[in-house]
Amino acid sequence: MEEVDKILIHALRQVGTEVGENIERVGQFTSELIVEAVVRCIRVIDPGPGGVLPTTLPPGMSARFRVGMSLAQACQDIGYKGEIGYQTFLYSNEPEIRSLLMFLVEKLPRESSEASDQPTGKSAVLHRAIATVIKAQLAVSWVPLNCRLPLHGETQSRAASQKFSVHPLSLPYCNEGQKSLKEVKEYKRDILLPATAQSPSQTSMVSSMLEQHMADLSSTQEWDTEWKSQGLLYRLAPQEYRSRKLKRLRNRIKEQLRSVAMQSPESIYSVCRPSSELSDLLRAFRGPAPFDLILTKGTHFTHTQKFTFTEEATAVKSQVHSGRHSEGDTQLHQQEELALLQQQFQQLCSDIDQIAADMRHRSVTSTQVFDELKQRELENAKNQEDMQVKKTTLELLPDADNNLQKLQSQVETGASRVVNLASQWEKHRAPLIEELRRLKQICSSKDLESSTKLSEIKHLHEKICMATEDAKKKEESYKQLVTELESLPRDVSRSAYTQRILEIVGNINKQKEDITKILSDTKELQKEINNLTGKLDRTFAVTDELVFKDAKKDESVRKSYKYLAALQENCNQLIQTIEDTGTILREIRDLEEQVGIS
Amino acid sequence: MKTTMKALGRISATDCVKLCHRVVDGLCGREPPCRSDYSATWSLEEWLQLLDFLSGLFRSTVGSNITDEEVLAKLSDVDHSHSQAVLSVVRAREEEIRRALLDRTNSISSATLQDFDWQLKLALSSDKISSLNTPLLSLSLDVREKGALRPITMELNKEELSSLISSLEAANKVVLQLK
Repeated sequence: MEEVDKILIHALRQVGTEVGENIERVGQFTSELIVEAVVRCIRVIDPGPGGVLPTTLPPGMSARFRVGMSLAQACQDIGYKGEIGYQTFLYSNEPEIRSLLMFLVEKLPRESSEASDQPTGKSAVLHRAIATVIKAQLAVSWVPLNCRLPLHGETQSRAASQKFSVHPLSLPYCNEGQKSLKEVKEYKRDILLPATAQSPSQTSMVSSMLEQHMADLSSTQEWDTEWKSQGLLYRLAPQEYRSRKLKRLRNRIKEQLRSVAMQSPESIYSVCRPSSELSDLLRAFRGPAPFDLILTKGTHFTHTQKFTFTEEATAVKSQVHSGRHSEGDTQLHQQEELALLQQQFQQLCSDIDQIAADMRHRSVTSTQVFDELKQRELENAKNQEDMQVKKTTLELLPDADNNLQKLQSQVETGASRVVNLASQWEKHRAPLIEELRRLKQICSSKDLESSTKLSEIKHLHEKICMATEDAKKKEESYKQLVTELESLPRDVSRSAYTQRILEIVGNINKQKEDITKILSDTKELQKEINNLTGKLDRTFAVTDELVFKDAKKDESVRKSYKYLAALQENCNQLIQTIEDTGTILREIRDLEEQVGIS
Repeated sequence: MKTTMKALGRISATDCVKLCHRVVDGLCGREPPCRSDYSATWSLEEWLQLLDFLSGLFRSTVGSNITDEEVLAKLSDVDHSHSQAVLSVVRAREEEIRRALLDRTNSISSATLQDFDWQLKLALSSDKISSLNTPLLSLSLDVREKGALRPITMELNKEELSSLISSLEAANKVVLQLK
């Protein structure tokens, strides 16, 4: 009971009752304290009527009586079923007060239990936090810029509405593999500002740093995933893999550009252009090119053009020259000369055209002739070789037999040498082939080994990923649980509750024992009753028989037999009635209990 | 051109190094040198010419892999110490300049994304529904189109955002193949 009292006192203190430190049981409560506790509880439970009740007992007896009556009335209004009256408060007894206080404490609204009833998922916690923060922010009124206090800093300062703008930063990376130049080192040491001073404004500094970090992180991460997923399969060092990929990529881009460049001349006039942007770009690059090409290289046409123009100029000059010599010539003469000159000029032009055509023809023929010449030379060389062979045969002819033998011997020695060499080659070849096979085997075994190792590595990577994810999840749930734990009320001592629970369990055990005892008693009783009824039945049967026998002879015995039968019947009826009464009583009790519960 | 290079001689070699580094900073998208710092030394015209000359020199040197001797030949009209200073700057910042030039080449297409920013908003209620609880993302993109910056702002709900992210991821996959 002491634990119950502790809990009660704790609850009363929470409501606002000033219970002294030395009071540990309900039995030590004074009348004043009881009144205060009850009034405070009622005020919390039902603030309407509870508000008018006084928390202290007045000195006068009649006033005290009235206060007690009103308190009892208020308790009954709340729903207290037990016996209550002014005497409960003024002349208290411990069990009554305890049951009253327990009832009141149970009726107290439970904020903490309501809070714990709410869903405790992560998102729910977040939503609740957001809601509370927004509520608080909405409660703060807007103030002009100049009157802002630190209180308004979070929601109304300009920093909240500032853009997240990024400036590129230059950071001195230290590449271990490459040795940096002296100039680079000097620059990094002397000139390069620290990263915090590089961005022009203070606000963009943080964002720039975050962005830089993010970019670095994502690039390494992407490279990591690529290397783990695809790169390992190539069985190359990372650098080699990169260089190979770069080469492949360059080739692809080259091909793409070439194909677009081939297409674009045709697609200029076509209506739909699928890769218009790229081809436009290429055309923009090619734009100034044709002029340069003509100017630098020059075509046949431009050459002839130049040539004709220069010639014309000289002709004009000579005309001027001759014009000076013959002073006072008539206009006719001039015209004649002009016509002549024009004729000459036309002739020259035609001559030039002819010559050009001739030249072209000549050049073509000259190439033909060159080709012919080459062919002839080849033929010549062949013929000379033929001649050489024939000459030697002719020289050898006079001593034919001898020479034939020589030749045969030479052929034989050659054959034997070939055989010899072949056998030698075989000798060399066998160990080499052996070696080759051995190496191949080693290679294949190593291949197998490496592939198994590769798969192992992949497996490990996957495991690492899974483990990290697992760890993350666990950490998150841990955090959530911690927040939940913090949000739970922690003021009631745990041991009090556990002790109370243990006490209750002990009580229940005791009650169980009692119940079993009572049950066994009941069983015994039942047995006795059964015994007695059996005995009664037997006795009645024997008596009945005896009396029945005598009743045939004697009149008075017949009467007594009748009485016996009546007695039997009455007794049976009586027993029946008693049993019925018992069952009805039990039912009544059941119903009463049910009513009491509901 | 010669007068421009002569004008470079008006500051000391160490100042020249600093100026050149600032010019490179400007090339790489950071703060360019400030005119007010040098207003006593050069007139506005000279200043602009000098900046043009230096940035052009850096660009061409790194872009077409010119050797040290050729750079010095280009700088033949200034003192030895000054030309050495410029050369040291070129060598020190070669990587950065190359990266900046590559970036410029990469953004050759008609519109490029310069920067982006996002804000996550939670719509608690609307004029029709008292409890909405819908997260909304307002995304603002700074797109550079033919040299001019054009801000694009949009608001996405959850489905739209996820579709945008999936398409961006697909694009990223293609980019990864090109890396």
